[in-house]
Amino acid sequence: MMDFITKKGFRNLAQGLIKDYVFYGPVTKDGFPAFSRIEEFSQLKLSQTPSHISAKGFLFPPKETLLRFDIEKGMAEGVADAEKQVLFGLHSCDVHAINLMDRVFSYGKPDVNYLKRRENTIIVGTECVPDEYCFCASIGTMTVDEGFDIFLHGVKGGFIARAGSGRGRSLLKKYASPSKTKRAALKELERLTEKKKTLFKARLDIDDPSLLPLVYSFADGHPVWEKIGAVCYGCGSCNNVCPTCYCFDVRDEVSMDLKKGTRSRVWDGCTLEDFAKVTGGMNFRKTRADRLRHRFNRKFRYLADRFKGLFCVGCGRCSRTCLVKINISEVTNEILRASKERPLAVPAGKSKG
Amino acid sequence: MVGLPGYGEAPISISSQPSPDMVDLCIKAAGDLTNALHRLRKGDILWVRGPFGRGFPVEEMKGKDLLFIAGGIGLIPMRSLIKSALSQRKSFGRLTLLYGVKEPGEVLFKKELKEWEKRGVEVNVTIDRPHPQWRGNVGVVTTLIGPCKVDELKTSAVIIGPHVMYKYVILSLGSKKIRGEDIFLSLERRMRCGMGKCGHCQIQSVYVCQEGPVFRLSEIRHLREAI
Repeated sequence: MMDFITKKGFRNLAQGLIKDYVFYGPVTKDGFPAFSRIEEFSQLKLSQTPSHISAKGFLFPPKETLLRFDIEKGMAEGVADAEKQVLFGLHSCDVHAINLMDRVFSYGKPDVNYLKRRENTIIVGTECVPDEYCFCASIGTMTVDEGFDIFLHGVKGGFIARAGSGRGRSLLKKYASPSKTKRAALKELERLTEKKKTLFKARLDIDDPSLLPLVYSFADGHPVWEKIGAVCYGCGSCNNVCPTCYCFDVRDEVSMDLKKGTRSRVWDGCTLEDFAKVTGGMNFRKTRADRLRHRFNRKFRYLADRFKGLFCVGCGRCSRTCLVKINISEVTNEILRASKERPLAVPAGKSKG
Repeated sequence: MVGLPGYGEAPISISSQPSPDMVDLCIKAAGDLTNALHRLRKGDILWVRGPFGRGFPVEEMKGKDLLFIAGGIGLIPMRSLIKSALSQRKSFGRLTLLYGVKEPGEVLFKKELKEWEKRGVEVNVTIDRPHPQWRGNVGVVTTLIGPCKVDELKTSAVIIGPHVMYKYVILSLGSKKIRGEDIFLSLERRMRCGMGKCGHCQIQSVYVCQEGPVFRLSEIRHLREAI
């Protein structure tokens, strides 16, 4: 459904949500776009380019209590805290990422903590403009049709507001006095979407991104892994900022009197050295090249079948944040180039191995 | 997953024959949690979650010869399968255990090894290097495989041990011509959740905690990082 809301309607919507819910939206932090708790409309600074850190932490917190236990009594109770919240100003890639996380945490034994929080979260998406790292147009995530309650597209005089759920429709009615969208505004949105496609500086050299798992499956021996492994710090920043990295560690903390404690899960990262290490010292992905190959394959190949989708949404956050400028679209293009090379005729008596 | 509040959890295999009432856990003191578990006394409580994942297909193995190849503490999960086989001894053909440890002091379940022998398991133990108190076989466990007589069409081989052992045991088994789907391995990995979410045990697309830890060689032969 395509409603139109005026700038005033937008203001009323944001103000209403800020007043009635715990509200997280984009602000400017140290000159960069970031998601933060917002209590006043004036703090809200819609960003056209992606936030440096994704919004995943509001659904899957960096640290989250799962259990409270009483050591003396040998008792434990599960904790699933989930306040009603609004995530405002997410871009298409962010919503795609959340849709993937929904599949992950519903798979097999459903993850109560995530799903409860997800259910209590209202998502309002906004339109964006690519920066030099964005490549969503190459991966099919430039636009989004589901996973949000409301999605706003700026047009002359206001916003086209798409409701993605019944909840979104009622929120629009409640706060934003929506009206029927005029044909001119729809044309403008079409024009803007077409124009956006031309603005990407980063892109993947592949017409059908659904072939990426296959392309990656031929790239285990590609020299790019050693190349980027040689410069990688193994700092885990890429894991931290990625909207679809969901690996975690589980840790216990005990009160000073050793009587009570909590069990929490905290973000972990597959690029960190001890991620796959077991007691006794065996490390199943010992080198940084091994770990980077694992991470890239998780984004483009390993999870694709199980969860019916690529786990890279083209937001470019890992490239943007990498201290040594490892760039996910460039690495993928290197692999794509190798996949397109014609096999060379092997001289008699020699094998390519 | 076996745990203690304050120390966390670790994936521990069951070392007794599966039973609804009781399980044996044999745990080596190696890290914080396992050392704390060793300090527990009778009546103390430890926490258990699970069981998770897939074990050995005992029913399918019936009628076959079983060749158990264990290294070090790999005998602990193997004991569960050996005891299952012995409890239905007539359902199985020849039972052979090849068991390698570093030094004599590391031989586990010494009494039981003798008892298993009496009940029809051919037990061969070896230590890595010569030791003054040892009169048995010397050499890594693969040295026991060569002399072993195997009917390749009716044998299931089961391998459990440290990661480094798998490749060499599989190579040695190559000459015995046992099919990949009849060779079973239990893989060790770091695990945090046991539910295919935390990512630590992942080998490519496979979650060892859910789809394993027991795999057929034919399932994982081509999986880089698995063996």
